[in-house]
Amino acid sequence: MAVETRAVARPAAKARPRPKREREEEVLVWPDLVFVEFIAAVLFTITFLMLSVFINAPLLNRANPELTPNPSKAPWYFLNLQELLLHMDKAWAGVLLPTIALGFFASIPYVDRSREAQGVWFGSKNAVRLTLVSAAYSVIMIAALVSFDAGDRTYAETLTRWIPSCNAEAQHQGTPCLQDAEGEAHTGLLSTKDISKRLEFSVPFPNFLGVDDGNLDWPRDLDRIPVPFNNICGNVGSFHLWCDMNLNIPSIMAEQVIPLSTVAGLALAIIYVLFRVGWLRTKRDLFIVMFTSVLVAYLALSMVGSFFRGEGQNLIWPWEIKVDEG
Amino acid sequence: MAVTEDPGKPRNLAERVQRLQDRVYSAIFHNYVWQSIFRSGYPNTPRNQMLVVATNIFLHLHPTRIHRTHVKITHTYCLGGLTFFMFLILTVTGVLLMFYYVPSVDSAYQDIAALETNVKFGLLMRNMHRWTAHAMVILVFLHMMRVFYTGAYKPPREFNWVVGVILLVLTLVLSFTGYLLPWDQLALWAVTVGHGIGGSAPFFGDETQLIVFGGFEVGPSTLIRFYTLHVIALPIIAAVFMSVHFWRIRRDGGMARPL
Ligand code: HEM
Repeated sequence: MAVETRAVARPAAKARPRPKREREEEVLVWPDLVFVEFIAAVLFTITFLMLSVFINAPLLNRANPELTPNPSKAPWYFLNLQELLLHMDKAWAGVLLPTIALGFFASIPYVDRSREAQGVWFGSKNAVRLTLVSAAYSVIMIAALVSFDAGDRTYAETLTRWIPSCNAEAQHQGTPCLQDAEGEAHTGLLSTKDISKRLEFSVPFPNFLGVDDGNLDWPRDLDRIPVPFNNICGNVGSFHLWCDMNLNIPSIMAEQVIPLSTVAGLALAIIYVLFRVGWLRTKRDLFIVMFTSVLVAYLALSMVGSFFRGEGQNLIWPWEIKVDEG
Repeated sequence: MAVTEDPGKPRNLAERVQRLQDRVYSAIFHNYVWQSIFRSGYPNTPRNQMLVVATNIFLHLHPTRIHRTHVKITHTYCLGGLTFFMFLILTVTGVLLMFYYVPSVDSAYQDIAALETNVKFGLLMRNMHRWTAHAMVILVFLHMMRVFYTGAYKPPREFNWVVGVILLVLTLVLSFTGYLLPWDQLALWAVTVGHGIGGSAPFFGDETQLIVFGGFEVGPSTLIRFYTLHVIALPIIAAVFMSVHFWRIRRDGGMARPL
């Protein structure tokens, strides 16, 4: 509460209520708070006793390293990471993005240092709207992205099915074609990751930069681009240096550049739109949007992993899920 | 009633009952043994109520007075407190489970199966441990959301928010290490997924698998590592961070309030 510091006499205008003293606003912890805590503890104890009487914790067969269940799933709070693995490079999905998210959480108070709007729910002007909009946006985008990418029922597959199979005999493919596994029926691209694995094409290209047959073949000619100085070999401790390091451009495109820039682009888009309509003004507003979207995406991806992924991590409806325990 | 005053004979039944009640009450609460434990009677004056909070080891985490908006349930929904309460239940049920569980690949599964069928309340304890563990993960997320949406991370509470983020990670890791212990198919393969994720860390992938999981596949050394982390290392670390967390709430001037 603001302390009245002005000592000059003011015209006796409106009669204001005298600011209440801090003490008068306080209650005693015993009994007021201790009572609430006690009731909450009792309610939760009873609830979980009841739950435990009626629902048993799962115990499947003894672990058997020979039998891989299909699908095998991480615990629900990590299923979101497992879901991301289907769409992008595993280091990004499993390690880098979560680390960035946690670093982002930890840094929030050091960037948003304003003291306004604390101690009350949604204390700033547009807080509720921003929260709702970002939550909805996050859910919709996750749903759209997941139904587009990764799985045999996705839009990516439907949209790319017309691309013909490659001619295994031809030396260069010319127009884009899809390489099918031996004995498999022809399908479209099951995920963006397939762009570096199954999509092939070639364009005429002068003979240089490692190309020696007048054609630049995707992905063959691009998957071993040496990084500069990759002849420095040796170890520091247990780490290998630089030695023989090559870049796989198609896989970097398909598993890092495309998915990450999609996510970043979608994030920037909503931030830009909310800024233009004038709802997003302060750092607090920005963080409301980012925090909400990240958390909701975390939850939504977990839901996808729990309820919409079946055998072979294919996209299915919840009622179709069955686990092959091997 | 002054002590010196002679109460005289009870005049009617009501008074007789009242006298009896008083006698029983003081037999229980005013005897030498009770008073050696609780130094004062039921705190029924504001002064004693503050004293009891300040001097009781379990209550002294609290301040003695608190702003009236903070005891409103809708301010915190008790989420932080309930997260902590889950931790307490997990400690109790976890210790009980430890009496029966041997963390070796040969016996872990049998121990859990036997616990469910042969041990009185064994199944109940296991269920409690499992469901409260899930609840703790959910509650810690909800608590973080309440702190965020009430803007309670703002100065001077920056560091306590960071302590909170560490507690979030600890809660997840605690839950994940416990997931392996029943050594059933669910456990093994869920942790195998985690093992793969750990191995995908740039530069440190192999090191992560070797150090955290004890090898390039989930096996006996993973089980003993996760067990040790789960029952002793992580709970102690979490308890330390929780102490800091609670201490900081008070050092930061109680919970956040509008300016
Ligand atoms: C094991 C996990 C945790 C426990 C047991 C815990 C416990 C508590 C308790 C009991 C409070 C008092 C108010 C309340 O109940 O809401 C509190 C406040 C607070 N917690 Fe946590 N917490 C945990 C995790 C977190 C996390 C993940 C964050 C944020 C990332 C966090 C940030 C805070 C902050 C900033 C406050 C002060 C709130 C205020 O001033 O209004 N805590 N915590």
